[in-house]
Amino acid sequence: MLVCRQVSKSYRTERGVVTAVAGIDLDVPAGRFAAVIGRSGSGKSTLMAMIGGLSRPSAGSVEVDGTDVWHLSDNALAAFRNEKVGYVFQFASLLPTLRLIDNVALPAMLGRRQGASGTYARAAALLERMGLGGYLDAYPAEISAGEQRRAAIARALINDPALLLADEPTSDLDEQTEIEIMDVLRTVNREVGTTLVLVTHNLALAEQAQQIVHIANGAIVA
Amino acid sequence: MRLLANLALQNLGRRKARSLLLIAAVAIGSGVVFTGATLMRSIDDSMAAGFSRLGADMMVVPEGALTNITAALLTVEPTDLVLDADVLAKARIASVGRAAPQKIARVEHSGIGSHHDLVDLVGFEPAHDFTIQPWLREKLNREFRAGDVILGAGRDVPLGSQMLIFGKPHVVYGKLGRTGVGTHERGVFMSFETLEALAGAVPQHGSSRPAALAPGKVTGFLVELAPGATALQARFAILSAVKGAKVVTGDSSLSGIRQGLSALLQGILALMVLMFASMAVMVSVLFSAIITERRPELGLLKAIGARWPQIVGMMVVEAVIATGVGGVLGVTLGVLVMRLYERSLVYYLENIGVPFVWLDLPRMAAFAAAAIVLAAAIGALGAFYPAWRASRRDAYDLVRGEG
Repeated sequence: MLVCRQVSKSYRTERGVVTAVAGIDLDVPAGRFAAVIGRSGSGKSTLMAMIGGLSRPSAGSVEVDGTDVWHLSDNALAAFRNEKVGYVFQFASLLPTLRLIDNVALPAMLGRRQGASGTYARAAALLERMGLGGYLDAYPAEISAGEQRRAAIARALINDPALLLADEPTSDLDEQTEIEIMDVLRTVNREVGTTLVLVTHNLALAEQAQQIVHIANGAIVA
Repeated sequence: MRLLANLALQNLGRRKARSLLLIAAVAIGSGVVFTGATLMRSIDDSMAAGFSRLGADMMVVPEGALTNITAALLTVEPTDLVLDADVLAKARIASVGRAAPQKIARVEHSGIGSHHDLVDLVGFEPAHDFTIQPWLREKLNREFRAGDVILGAGRDVPLGSQMLIFGKPHVVYGKLGRTGVGTHERGVFMSFETLEALAGAVPQHGSSRPAALAPGKVTGFLVELAPGATALQARFAILSAVKGAKVVTGDSSLSGIRQGLSALLQGILALMVLMFASMAVMVSVLFSAIITERRPELGLLKAIGARWPQIVGMMVVEAVIATGVGGVLGVTLGVLVMRLYERSLVYYLENIGVPFVWLDLPRMAAFAAAAIVLAAAIGALGAFYPAWRASRRDAYDLVRGEG
């Protein structure tokens, strides 16, 4: 499902070239729940961005569901991000001027795969499933951080992605909310069969995964 | 896409103070441009009408002719001396902008007025005239043609009626307004062709008929200076090129005012262009800053699959809405300012007899539309480049507020 080969990412800074990810090889079979763990600055978020089509690698290749991501044209890459990947960021990533239902429907509307009424019905169902059925018309500022994160997961799932990437989705949440978010992610992985890659620095969360990848200084150490 | 358009609108609403300031700045800019362009065009038209009413800058008459100088040179004075009609055309004098030849014959027993009334028959070439026709107060709804006469304000004969001059029928085509210049007040104006056709009917004075009635001869020329030329330059050029002529100048300040105002209007136009350019730069800088501030949001849109045209489109729509609304408000503001102007300065000018011709409605509407479209175009251009640049960055860099 997910195949990374010698993926590297270097940045040019005033103090010279900084290597964030150095030649990582990674295989995650379809439907699996994999966790990438490591300390802050270890390169795990950068790796996720390269897998998700958000950041071009300096070297190496990323293949998702048979698609060589970084050989796609701009439009095809946008379509890949829209259709194949669902991305949950480590921060509240909803657009503040849109209602929850609009936020969730937005990726489907951008992709124009189905009509507005079908998209909104699906967005409503996803929010219902996330326990946010009573907040369809609410704005992000009107709900809690945990609810916002759940809405972001609903948005990530609107186009039925093959791969769900969650970059420290519980980083600034309380313990109870963390448990709720992880339940949602695990349920999606288990019931829908969506491949889940979770980035975290929390070993307890990583232990829930079927595959654990330990990164340090941009390289896999275990 | 409706959702992105809504997003653009809501983004404007999110930063109300900034959006209002942007709209206000564009409103002021486009208001000034619209008002300035409309007033400038109106002043230009008014100048064309007003200055043509003020008459010529100078007269060229035969050397021995007596002249009656008035503040406004509108017609030459009757005299028995004449010049060749083509003398100025042949001389090709650069400082002469326009030259209107005139023939004047002062006659009696013409059939106009009482038996011994002296009547000035004034011949002019409609195509070259710029001192008689601007004074037309009323006229028939057709072209001026042979057999037509125009009457000075001192003569009261209905339009379209027949007037016998030396027994020949003529149609009263138009009437002039009051000028205060005697020749105009009592004159009967007609084309050269009409006047020359009367020659055989005019009784001889002593041994000959008035010399001006002869074909190819004129009593004199009314001259308007070329742009930038001085009266002195023209005078010397005419005197050296036309033998047996003398040059009579009127109020020399008129040509100065005419030329000065033209230069002033060009200066105002240049200032308006500069103002619009600075508005374009300001909008561009502002949108560059707005886009920098909103990089995470744009990165997020990219991350969920927005293509670069969608991102650029959203930002451009946002800019076009803000600057377009600014343009509409600017035009509204401009109309209000012009209403104020109309109630004060224009009213005053018209009260003292200075004509002010407002731009007609279709042209004013075109100026308004142009101001709004330009304002919106400035917004679109100002937002396009920074949005396009941001849309080409990696989504991850944008999400992190970099790039």
